Amino acid sequence: MEDQSLPLAKTRPETRVRNGAAFFSAVRAVIWKDLAAELRSREVLSAMLVFSLLVILIFNFALELDAATRSTVTAGVLWVTFAFAGTLGLNRSMAMEKDRGCLDGLLLAPVDRSAIYFGKAIGNLIFMFIVELIVLPVYSILYNTNLFNPGLLLVIVLGSIGYVAVGTLLASMAVQTRTRDILLPILLFPITIPIFVGAVKASTAFLQAFPMAEIWPYLNLLIVYDVIFTAVAYMIFDFVVEE
Amino acid sequence: METKPRLLTIIDTIAVILMIIATGMVFFYAPTEAVMGNAQKVFYFHVATAWVGMLSFIVAAIAGIAYLRSSDRKWDRLGLASVEIGIAFIFIATVTGSIWAKPIWNTWWTWDPRLTTVTIMELIYLAYMMLRSGIEDPDRRARFGAVYAIIGAISVPLTFFSARLYRTIHPVVIGSGDPSAQGTFDMTPRMLQTFMFSLVTFSVIFVSLLWHRVRLGKLAEKVEQLKLKVMA
Amino acid sequence: MQTVMNLLLQESPPNTDAYMVAGYIVIFGVMLIYLVSLVIRQRSLSKDLELLEDLESGKK
Repeated sequence: MEDQSLPLAKTRPETRVRNGAAFFSAVRAVIWKDLAAELRSREVLSAMLVFSLLVILIFNFALELDAATRSTVTAGVLWVTFAFAGTLGLNRSMAMEKDRGCLDGLLLAPVDRSAIYFGKAIGNLIFMFIVELIVLPVYSILYNTNLFNPGLLLVIVLGSIGYVAVGTLLASMAVQTRTRDILLPILLFPITIPIFVGAVKASTAFLQAFPMAEIWPYLNLLIVYDVIFTAVAYMIFDFVVEE
Repeated sequence: METKPRLLTIIDTIAVILMIIATGMVFFYAPTEAVMGNAQKVFYFHVATAWVGMLSFIVAAIAGIAYLRSSDRKWDRLGLASVEIGIAFIFIATVTGSIWAKPIWNTWWTWDPRLTTVTIMELIYLAYMMLRSGIEDPDRRARFGAVYAIIGAISVPLTFFSARLYRTIHPVVIGSGDPSAQGTFDMTPRMLQTFMFSLVTFSVIFVSLLWHRVRLGKLAEKVEQLKLKVMA
Repeated sequence: MQTVMNLLLQESPPNTDAYMVAGYIVIFGVMLIYLVSLVIRQRSLSKDLELLEDLESGKK
């Protein structure tokens, strides 16, 4: 009884190719597969983008984004938009694997399973970056604010990494449940609160040109979060896809 | 149903006796605080229930790690039991915190780090339950529960730290705190004794409840298996 | 005169008893509800178990 639920312990030694080249080519293969599929269908990115623009539009009416309000709430609006669009993308990217049976195929391939995790996570991260790169200028134009601030870009990179690191792991669990579409945000948001605190605070601080001494605690929080959760997700992912 | 172990009966008895003494200490032994009045008495059990909530989180995470390492279902029962008790006690801690906040800070709710963290813990627990209820296969349910318990436990200190980057008004009762924090009070020896006694009491109650809940889980599994057997 | 002064100067804690009572109602109430839920679940499971055991022995 114990043996059948522990196939990993057995398969690990031969599948776990610690040879760096094989690992990276596996990661690259998974990323390319996702990008190529997206290039053909464009369904994830277009959904994320349209959704983001709609969220910003709704915020415009909900918050009366006049010049005075904007300076304080811009970071909040941006991060809520990214978070919502992010769950959409994460759910879609994992659900696709599940529905088309790609995940099973991937699992059969003689690659380290963490290579699959990193491949999926980096693919999701690329999608998120693309959405963010389009949302930022659109927001800048719509509200006549300059968002091209290197500090803000750094915060967006750090925040997205942490968000996607946890999100990829939780999304691969969520798609294997009965309630998959509604479950991901419920699982993901309480865990990613530190990211939103750090990212919103740091973004606002950069946009309002606060001294760096006030920004560092938030950046450190984001960096610590990214490191811890990337490492934990890497160690734990095996158990999520194990069948 | 296996008979109730002797040790469990002993723990139950101790828990009940301790609870009676602790309640007595809170109402008759501990002095009334000069500034806050009797509302301060909520504090003893408020902190104790929050403590049980923390404890249950740690137990659930450890059980999660143990389950992933061993695939032994008993760890899953322990994890689930711990989370369920945590939900009840963190709920108490949140509500009593709110009740205490009203007379002291004149508001039902503040975004104080501890209050915020505890509330997010409750949300993580509820998410854990929803995750489990969406999975039929018991092995997968146990595995995903373990993974989520671990992830949740790791995020809690970070959540606390992030919430703390905001200014706090929570009274720092033990150790030197921000003197401007309203509601801070110095504990007299009697208060400290009552406080410590409450912590011990609730720890024993936690152990007793945990054991009962694990036994319940075992029974439920037995019924489930028998059902499958009879249906077949 | 002395007693009046004493009365005026005496600092009594504010009356916040209602909050204390509310707090302890919540604490004991929720714990009681949880205990009752444990007992109810235990009972219904035991009943199920008995029924299933009867069914199983009947099948044989």
